[in-house]
Amino acid sequence: MSTPPHAPAPAQARAQARAAAQQADRADPGAGAAGADLSAPRGRPGATGAPVDARPGAPSRGLRFVHAQYALALVVAGLCLSPFALVFAISLGEVEAGAAWNWGVSAANYARVFVGLDWPESASFVYMRKLGWSLAYAALGAVIAVAFAFPFAWAMTRRSRRAQTVWLVFLLSSLSLSEVFVVMGWDVLLSNRSGLPMAFRETGLTDWLKAVGWFDVLREIGLATPRNVRFKPSVFATVLTLSYLVFPYAVILLYPALSRLDPAMMEAARTMGARPFTVIRTVALPACRLPIAGAALLLFVYLLGAYVAVTVFADPSRQTLTITIYESVRGATLNAPFGAAQAMVLLVTAVACLGASLALAKRAERRS
Amino acid sequence: MAELRIAGVTKSFGAGPPAVERIDLRFADGELTALLGPSGCGKTTLLRMIAGLETPSAGRIELGGADITALPAHRRRFGMVFQNFALFPHLSVAENVAYALSIAGVAKARRLARAEELLELVRLPGLGARRVGELSGGQRQRVAIARALAQEPDVFLLDEPMSALDAQLREEMQVELRLLQQKLGITTIVVTHDQREAMTMADQVVVMSKGRAEQVAPPQEVYRNPANAFVAGFIGKANMLPATAMGGAARLDCGTSLALSPPAAFRDGAELVLACRPEWMRLASGPGPNRLPARVAFVRDIGQVREIHAEADGRTLVCELPFSAPERPRLGETIHLEFPPDMLRAFPARDRAEVA
Repeated sequence: MSTPPHAPAPAQARAQARAAAQQADRADPGAGAAGADLSAPRGRPGATGAPVDARPGAPSRGLRFVHAQYALALVVAGLCLSPFALVFAISLGEVEAGAAWNWGVSAANYARVFVGLDWPESASFVYMRKLGWSLAYAALGAVIAVAFAFPFAWAMTRRSRRAQTVWLVFLLSSLSLSEVFVVMGWDVLLSNRSGLPMAFRETGLTDWLKAVGWFDVLREIGLATPRNVRFKPSVFATVLTLSYLVFPYAVILLYPALSRLDPAMMEAARTMGARPFTVIRTVALPACRLPIAGAALLLFVYLLGAYVAVTVFADPSRQTLTITIYESVRGATLNAPFGAAQAMVLLVTAVACLGASLALAKRAERRS
Repeated sequence: MAELRIAGVTKSFGAGPPAVERIDLRFADGELTALLGPSGCGKTTLLRMIAGLETPSAGRIELGGADITALPAHRRRFGMVFQNFALFPHLSVAENVAYALSIAGVAKARRLARAEELLELVRLPGLGARRVGELSGGQRQRVAIARALAQEPDVFLLDEPMSALDAQLREEMQVELRLLQQKLGITTIVVTHDQREAMTMADQVVVMSKGRAEQVAPPQEVYRNPANAFVAGFIGKANMLPATAMGGAARLDCGTSLALSPPAAFRDGAELVLACRPEWMRLASGPGPNRLPARVAFVRDIGQVREIHAEADGRTLVCELPFSAPERPRLGETIHLEFPPDMLRAFPARDRAEVA
């Protein structure tokens, strides 16, 4: 994505308003106004707003610089966009026998993603459901990670400088764990024979859950067999692992905003009768709403591509588009054009989500 | 409203000397008190303890006879204006002003009406819909004042309220704030390091240094009769001279004896510091009692006053003459500086180190 070269209009208008407000301060009919007039230099050169750098030689140098910029932009665009263009071109092709495929211009692969192979005789929304699961897992994972990261980062900024550094180093180093490693850990922890379910059974927690009746609730939401609790496969385990994976990112994304938050603002709220929790709700959260939304969005888009956690923890009927994309391109089904079509749909969905939230943020900013 | 009292309030942060040490003060109902002192003297810490943002290590804070030492900030109803104003950037001006009311659960229409009323009070009518980012420094300060007054606080606290404003605006706001405070008759405490600001606004000045209250008095009293050498040096300018007590008078190191009125209450031989404000000194035509010969080293004519820097007794003394004074000493000329006995202040010499 590129940023527009000119400052957006609202920002300009705001700057003008600020300048006008500052002038209003000076123009107060006070004692010093006349004195300021006396000392103000008249017709100071350079204050007229004429460009200083208007030498005859300057344009050609500027032009050369512009050319270099265009060339660089072309290279970057080529490098970034050509893979996407290639995937898009493949998605229009047709599969042959085996792994082979031919170039083409058919929308059949897209039709299959949206309404199934047998359209128009019958419609099947298998892949749309998978897209739905992709969005659901990513959204839940991102929101839960941010929801836990906010109080965590908040508590972190209340610590001493030294403690904050230690926590940051710890979080950064935890990012070096690969997704595979983290998923393996949770896999062991949640596995039925050796993980938490065993601990539940051995410590009598299962019996206690049965006694108080909560076991039936767990069974209803699919987290228990008739004999014991069972965490995998489940939506719960998938979302838990996904949010665990991105939690350090969430903290690191929120930390700068929270540490920049002026403590005097929180104290001001306290002197105006706000309890500590009310201060967080009415001052800290709203003041950080853009960083919070930004972090959630970034992690959501990142989690749309999650693969390992979903293969390990999600029930096959609740797996995501990422899994079938992989199966189409490298795995069992071997249909590269169809895989490419699915990938394009996932990509467009992610871009649409980004665009929609940017538009929402802009509207919210204009309204407030 | 009720009287605020603090008794024996002390605050220590970890090891080292306490930031605030055993301070006793009374803040009379409806009066403005200035906590004045150099940076690091503990004045802001004291204000924060009064606001409930810090807990005293020892001592009591009472409001109308009730002990509020342990009461958290949100239950004190003390309006506070912060140094950087601490306005909420995510709220409009009116919502900022009405914040305390929204916390208290006042209905929206009523609290916005009250916000507009307060904005009129601070001379910002009709700006309620603006965003905080669109305001100038002076306007922000007015909003911060209006916001702190919204809950009709028992005590109004201001932490260096003028430090973020430029010099000219600062002078105007000092007068305006004082007028507002007198109109509302609200007990007010202002922290400042600017003695001019304190003199402009305060009924009572608390001069602080190193966590202690050096003098508590009305501003003119602090200026005319400083309690010690620190106060004399911090409030206004003062010429300081080391001397020795001798029969009620003070003997300078050069041998000259200066009479004091009333006579100094020190035993003979005690080491003293003499203080005399530049504008209290006079130029005499020749030698005489309480006069000191000096050589003019520098003359600064800044319009309303003429400053004569003259060397005597191995140090530079400054004498300020009104613009109407006929004397125009020239560089290198020998003059006679006269110290009127009733304008000399003598302090014990243990203060000497603090002056130097």
